Amino acid sequence: MEETIIKAENITFTYEDGTQALKGIDIEIKKGRKIAFLGANGSGKSTFFLCLNGIHQPSNGTLYYRAEPYHYKKDFLLKLRSKVGIVFQDPDRQLFSASVRQEISFGAMNLGLAIEEVKARVDRSIEDLEITAFQEKPTHFLSGGQKKQVAIADILVMDPEVIVLDEPAAALDPKHTTIVNHHIDQMAKKGITVLISTHDVDHAYAWADEVVLFHEGKIIKSGTPKTVFSDEKTLLATNLQKPSALRLFDDLCAKGLFDPSLPPPRNLEELEQYIHDISKRSTAL
Amino acid sequence: MIIIDKLCYYSKLRYQNPYIKTAWAMIALIITVSTRSIALSVLILAAMSYLTVIKGGTNLRRYCHFMAIPFAFLFLSSFAIAVNFSKTPLSVLSLPIGSWYLTASFSGLYLVLQLILTALAAVSCLYFLTLTTPMPDILMVLKKVRCPYLIIEMMMLIYRFIFVLLDIAYQLRISQICRLGNKDKRTSWKALGELMAVLLVRAMKRANEMYDAMESRCYNGVISVLEETGVATKKEIALLAICSLCLTAAALCCAYLGI
Repeated sequence: MEETIIKAENITFTYEDGTQALKGIDIEIKKGRKIAFLGANGSGKSTFFLCLNGIHQPSNGTLYYRAEPYHYKKDFLLKLRSKVGIVFQDPDRQLFSASVRQEISFGAMNLGLAIEEVKARVDRSIEDLEITAFQEKPTHFLSGGQKKQVAIADILVMDPEVIVLDEPAAALDPKHTTIVNHHIDQMAKKGITVLISTHDVDHAYAWADEVVLFHEGKIIKSGTPKTVFSDEKTLLATNLQKPSALRLFDDLCAKGLFDPSLPPPRNLEELEQYIHDISKRSTAL
Repeated sequence: MIIIDKLCYYSKLRYQNPYIKTAWAMIALIITVSTRSIALSVLILAAMSYLTVIKGGTNLRRYCHFMAIPFAFLFLSSFAIAVNFSKTPLSVLSLPIGSWYLTASFSGLYLVLQLILTALAAVSCLYFLTLTTPMPDILMVLKKVRCPYLIIEMMMLIYRFIFVLLDIAYQLRISQICRLGNKDKRTSWKALGELMAVLLVRAMKRANEMYDAMESRCYNGVISVLEETGVATKKEIALLAICSLCLTAAALCCAYLGI
């Protein structure tokens, strides 16, 4: 039985201007999972993320961290935020210091660790995220991708149990997208629960253990990538495309080229392998 | 973006101990300002320029350009000091204007020379610090000398925000120009006003967002970050002491000789 780390029960959130951003969200987040959140801009993903670490207090409903209901007192919030970290979409929104090392050390210092421990953690994060080459540069000299790496190190240094990344690949070039995705995989391998929001269906399909679809402040579908992305009606309602690997696979199954009982390919490489196997079989015949 | 900010990061003296650099600049500054000696000012001006340009590797032309900036102020103020409007003509210059004279004296000119050189020497001390020491290092020094936290935190955030806001302003400006926001004077001024209004709104929004992001990292009212510039070595302290002693000795000589 997997352990539930965060649970939301029917939470709603309304902004001061009256916009109702969340209209009753129920979700259980299991420890160690890789979860992708999809949905249009303004569908409530980012608001939901800010509820997870107590920046926003839901208007109604309750959140639980390891079965303990959220209460909005300082000591609980500090404990919660040391366990649930958020990497914001725009690194310029997050970086406040001109020095990369000082920037990364901020979260660790706030945990009240010994200076030696903070130093060790900062060094480790800098190495893990490949920041070494530009760690002496001031933050305003860094490229968008480098700032993103620092923004992730900011959170990783706090050693959280859950990391939430709000559109980690937004505005990144392919090289930095690969780097960032690689680091996200590394986190998941270490057992950190990783939540990302994304618009990239192919990536969500290939990467996630679980996919959650947001639509106008509600979760309209969640489950394994295969179940969510096979539900064409819901995809249509949220203006999402079916992942290309799955779409091609389904087409090829319909033509009788593939056996539909095969596990569906998670990405184009796996699909290519299937095609390769067929051509090998036909040449053998 | 701001060239004077960029230069210190490329200085060859960047990684020298910031405490020593700051102490040296401050000692030299205090000695210059307190003695106001012409000979000493020339000495300090030469020493600081040597350190910044030759040792630090700052481009000479750029350095001269920076040194020329205070000249506009110096020229105006020294003109006011040197030239008098009086009923009796003085030694150097006397232009009669009605029953009055526009006039200057040797002692007045000497005073101006002294003033200009002292000011330039003092500026060279500050440029030495600015052009070799990045802002985070200076903040660390301020923390060491027990400057109030509030001021240091404000400086830290303001320094970072200068670049964030400049970037926003630059993007807004470009997008205005792309839509012919500068087609004539009237439109230009209007666009500038709108840019400033939007910039204010964005700055407020950014500040709120950054506060949320800091809260997310357990911010509890005090910005605590790692300080790790090494302690000054014995050699560095000895060098500083020797240089300061030499400077003091030179200051005493100048005072004795009256130059």
